[in-house]
Order: sequence, then structure tokens, then C-alpha cells
Amino acid sequence: MTMADVPEDLVRGLGLDTQNAATIGQVLGTGSIAEATVREDGTMEATVRIKEDSISWDPAILVLPRGGDLELTVINDDKNTHACLLPSNGDQKFLWLLNHSKGRARINLDGPGYYWYSSPGGNDEGRGLTAAIVVQGEVPPEARLDRPPQPRPTKGDNS
Amino acid sequence: MTAEYIDAGEAIDHGALSAVKGTAPRTSNVDYERLRTARSEPDNWMTYFGAYDGQRYSLLDQINTENVRRIGPAWIFQAGMSGHIAGASTYAFEACPLVVDGIMYVTGWDGWFWCLDAATGKELWRYKHAVPFDVSLCCGNVNRGCAVANGRVYFVTPNAQLVCLDATNGDKIFQKTIGDVRAGESASLAPTVIKDTLITGSAGGEFGVRGHVDCWDLETGEHRWRTYMVPKPGEPGGDTWPDDEAWARGGGNHWCTGTYDPELNLYYAGTGNPAPDFDGDVRPGDNLYTDSVVALDVDTGEIRWHYQFTPHDLWDYDSTMEMTLFERDGKKLLGHFDKNGYFFVLDRTNGELQHVSPFVDRIDWGVITRDGKVTPRKYPDKEGDPVHFYPGPAGAKEWTHAAYHPEHDMFYVPVADVGATATRRRREFKEGMPYWGAAVQVDIDDMAGSISAFDSHGEEKWRHRLDHPMAASVLATAGDLVFAGTPTGEFLALHAETGEKLWEFQCGSGHHSSPSTYTVDGKQYIVVPVGWGGWLEGIIPGMLGAGHGSALIAFALPD
Repeated sequence: MTMADVPEDLVRGLGLDTQNAATIGQVLGTGSIAEATVREDGTMEATVRIKEDSISWDPAILVLPRGGDLELTVINDDKNTHACLLPSNGDQKFLWLLNHSKGRARINLDGPGYYWYSSPGGNDEGRGLTAAIVVQGEVPPEARLDRPPQPRPTKGDNS
Repeated sequence: MTAEYIDAGEAIDHGALSAVKGTAPRTSNVDYERLRTARSEPDNWMTYFGAYDGQRYSLLDQINTENVRRIGPAWIFQAGMSGHIAGASTYAFEACPLVVDGIMYVTGWDGWFWCLDAATGKELWRYKHAVPFDVSLCCGNVNRGCAVANGRVYFVTPNAQLVCLDATNGDKIFQKTIGDVRAGESASLAPTVIKDTLITGSAGGEFGVRGHVDCWDLETGEHRWRTYMVPKPGEPGGDTWPDDEAWARGGGNHWCTGTYDPELNLYYAGTGNPAPDFDGDVRPGDNLYTDSVVALDVDTGEIRWHYQFTPHDLWDYDSTMEMTLFERDGKKLLGHFDKNGYFFVLDRTNGELQHVSPFVDRIDWGVITRDGKVTPRKYPDKEGDPVHFYPGPAGAKEWTHAAYHPEHDMFYVPVADVGATATRRRREFKEGMPYWGAAVQVDIDDMAGSISAFDSHGEEKWRHRLDHPMAASVLATAGDLVFAGTPTGEFLALHAETGEKLWEFQCGSGHHSSPSTYTVDGKQYIVVPVGWGGWLEGIIPGMLGAGHGSALIAFALPD
């Protein structure tokens, strides 16, 4: 569950995280969270998949520790054909995903910040096949402003 | 039993699923000498303003007052959108296209860069930088253009990256981080190539950042120098800030391309508003070098002189827009139409003021006398008290640029005449959060605009009136024509001497960009990016609901 400060049973009870329940599609921002792993050479790797009849990406939020190169394994476990359009510096990366197929994507992203990606096929985006890649970290020290450390918003500010 | 997966292969470039060729012809080499004398090559448009002086004036005259009624679209490039972009509600086509030897380089919102055949509009290659969805963009997902030199093109991205590409195929050569997105910094200006360096500037004035101008090695991207536009305590100008940390959040961003005088080796950087925009009590003093022109030595970044147009700004009157360089009576001058509604002429060798004059009908925030004395009159002062003033925070002229016709000694200015109400609302500073210090509402039902012509003394010569404030740059040509696009989509050609409307074309979306002109095989084209959007709630909230566009349209005479 990825809606902050919302009880998980409320999300499930309302059917927000399910296809054709509360509404037609699964509401964006619901779903699982996973972290990418970092190989010894610094390349990050992770797997995202579409489970059968979910029409959503699992994980719905993939967290990277920093910007850089990411190798993604992309799996379609669904009994329908989908696609994947990922952000990457240079050009977006496109992968066509037949029923029960597995492919790969190499992407490069700046950090920090988060990116949406989706399946651009048919009505996939709206039904829930839109997910996020969250890149953590700070900009390089040389790009920061020459000034004393400044206060940032805290969790308490959001309550 | 688990069935084996079908191999879906590896993800491919999205552009591979299009008619994009992927390569462009190698053009003749654009070096510093050619950039320095760019106006003498009117077949090309090689810098953001067309030349270092910022005049936005072309010597081309094939299209002129006699035949402009016959021009029509030669081609249209439709950029469109794919995937999910940052600030989707705010994207706009704000760029100025560059052209070298019939090859066009143009940037878009959200990290887009397109290389086109300038005679046909055919897309030759594309580059798409991935821009985080959550990047702080004070005034829309926009970019104003690129620079070209030595077989490369350079541009900045909304998440404050400087990207250098191979001009023949869009392959990335280097990338540098030029700002801190966590601090609320972004980038939107077209870089400037000067000698063996490249100049960029910061954006993010509504987030309390400390503005800066940067210089980079053209070949390697190595950082040469950074000059902050807000001094630290103890530095020259530091005494114009209070003794606390207000300077560290002081604004003064350089988010529009500067101009350059090669003889003086000075880069004229316009700077943005102080932060917080409307709450001056937290930053008593003049707040240098916000709302100023700062003359920088290109080799060192040293500030040689400055002139502040709105001391202790309380109205969001950035001075980032063009500093037009021109000569009069043998004197090197600089003309600047400021958001505050006044036209300033300075001696550009030393910053000495020559004269000041108003260029919009309604100014009541304060008065500036012809010799430069500033008297504020209406401003957000007491907490919770609404104050209405003219011009509003988008100014009597937003970032979009005037043009200067040297033969007529005439400036053609996109004028906005709209007011706003600001109510001071103090807030604590928190990094990455908007830091305005007020609730602001721009008028939606009482507005006007014009393309107005002024001589260099500030005397108005003619005015083409519009129902809406102007929000696009003007182009002047030796064909005695002035081209400009309106918020409602009309692209106009006016007679440079009289203002008479000679031609118009409805482009299907509002204009918020900078047209340019060039020739290919002896044929002159006028090209204009068309795509409404940006900071509309500040510029023209009455047009906030108009549709966006994403087209590049080139006009020419029939064969």
C-alpha cells in the first residue's frame, strides 16, 4: 500500500487497489513497493511484472538509491498483451510484451526525483499500468548552493 | 508446470518506432568568430537572439512589406506528447529555433530536443532527457532554446542538467549537473557560447534559492566559474541584505539568456526577483543584485558593474529579460524593457543611466523619474491586507523579447497591461517549498496588450492594440517587417514604420515563444514555435483554459 497515512484495510475495503472494484481501474499510487539492488559494478537491477488480471505493475513503486544505470527485467504474467514505455536519458525505451513474456530494459536516470512509466498500449495506462521509479539521493556536492544548511519540510508539516 | 516465457527481447528507443532518420548532415563549423559576427550571416540563425547584441533583427528582406501578404505555411512540425511529463498542465513551446546551413535545432518542454530539415520540417534526429515528474517548476515545464558550436549543440533541462549532444546524431557527449533540484532549482534558458566557454544560469526564484551564473568549458564541460547574484555578508553588495540568512534564500536568478559585447568582453546578465517575492520585511535593504543587469567579465566571472531596476522589489519584477545592445551617437548603449513598466537606457561600458521612460499605460506600483529616482507607492505591506497594483507580477513585459531595428532606431515591444492583487502572507522558509510570502491573484477581466514601437529615447511611435496582454517575442527584419504571435493564436506581420497589419495567420494555439528567420537554397523562411502554456496564472489567467499546442510552423513565399 503506497498511500501514506491511509489504513491498508481502508484501501482494500474501498477496492481502490483492485481492477473493476471501486472504480474501473486500479487507482494510481496503490500497490507494492520494492528496492533495486546494486551490483558490484554500480549498475542497479530490479524486476517489474504484470500479474495475471492485475493490469498493474508490481512493484508499483520501484526505489533506486541514486541516479545512474538500471537494468530492468520486465515480465508479463498476464493472459493479455501489454507494453512498457520507460523514461531514460536519450530516449524513452519501449518494450512490447506478448502474453507470458519476459524482456529487458537498460535505462539511465538522473536523481533525485521520481518518474512515471506506463504501458502505452490501449487503455492500459488508465486502468493502472502506470507506476513510479523513485530515485533517492542528492545532487553532486559541486552543484549545491553555497549557503548554510537550510531547513527542509518535515513529516510533521504534512500532518 | 511453469511454461517458459516468450522472449520479449530488449527495450528499444521509442524514436526507432517513427520515421526519424537518426542522423543529420554535418554543417559548416560554427566557431566563435562566426558567432561574433552572426548578423552578417542572415541565412543562418546561430544564437538565441540571432546575434550577441540581442536585437532579434535579421538582414533578410526577401519577405518584405510588398509581398508578405503572399506568405503561407511551408511546413508544420507537430511535436505532440508521449509518456508522462512533469508539469503536464503547464508545458509550453517557448523556444527560439536555431538554424545552420538548413539544419534546425529546437528544444521543447520536458527535456525534448529535435533536429529538423529546415526546408521540409522533416525530423532528422531527436533526444529526450528523462525529467523527474516531481521537479519544482515555478513557471511551467518549458525551455527557451539551445546553443550550437563546433559540431555540437547544448541545452539545459528542467531538472538542472547541462547536456551536450553531437549535432549530427543527438548522441550525448557530456552532461553536467548545474543546479540543486532539492533546493528548488531548475533551468530553462538557452545557453550562450562565448569563445571556448558556455554560459548558463539558474532558475527557481519562487523557491528561495541563491541565483547564479555559471561558465563551462565548451569542449569538456569542466566548470570554469560560478558567480552568485546575491552576495554573502562581507562581499560587495552584502550590506544591502539584513544580518540574518535572508541572503542565502535571496533569489536573483538568471533564467533568460544574456547578451554580450565582444569588445568589452562583458556578458550582460539579467537577474530575477528577490525571495520571498512579496514579503519585503524579511529582507530590508536594496537586495542586490536582484532585479538588475550585472555586467560580468566572461573570462573570470567578476562583476564589473551593475544597475538595479527595482531596488527592494515587492512586486515580483524580475529583470531577466533581454538587455539589447545598440549604438547611438557613437555611444555604446544597453536598452531594457523591465517588468516594472519602464524602459531603461544605460551606458553599457559602465552602467551609467542615460534615461528612463514608461512603456505601458497603467503603472501605479510606484514612480521612476527620467533620471532614475524610484518612489514605491503601492505594495503588500501589512499582513492580510490586499493591495492591487499595476503591472501585475508578470510585468508590463514578461520574459518574451523585444526586437530592435537599427536603421529605424526603433524597439518593438510585446506589452502586457494587466494588474494583480497581492496579500502578504508570511511563511517560514523551507528548502524546496514555494516561498512567495503572499497570496496573489492576477486580474482576469481587465486586461490589454499591444505590440508597441518606441524610439531609443523612449518615445512611442505606434501601437498595434490587442485585447490580451502580449506573451511572445517580436522579430524584426530588413524587409521592414515586425513579426509577432498573439495569445489567441494569430501570427502577425506589421509594417515596421507604421504598425499597419499586413498579414496574419491563425496558428491554432497561443504564442509564447521566439520566432526566427533563415534561408535555405535562397528561400527565406520565418519559423515560429506555437504552444500555449507556461505561467499563465501570472501572465494571462483569463487564458488559462485555452488549449495547449506543440507545433513548429515555417512560413515562406510560394515557389
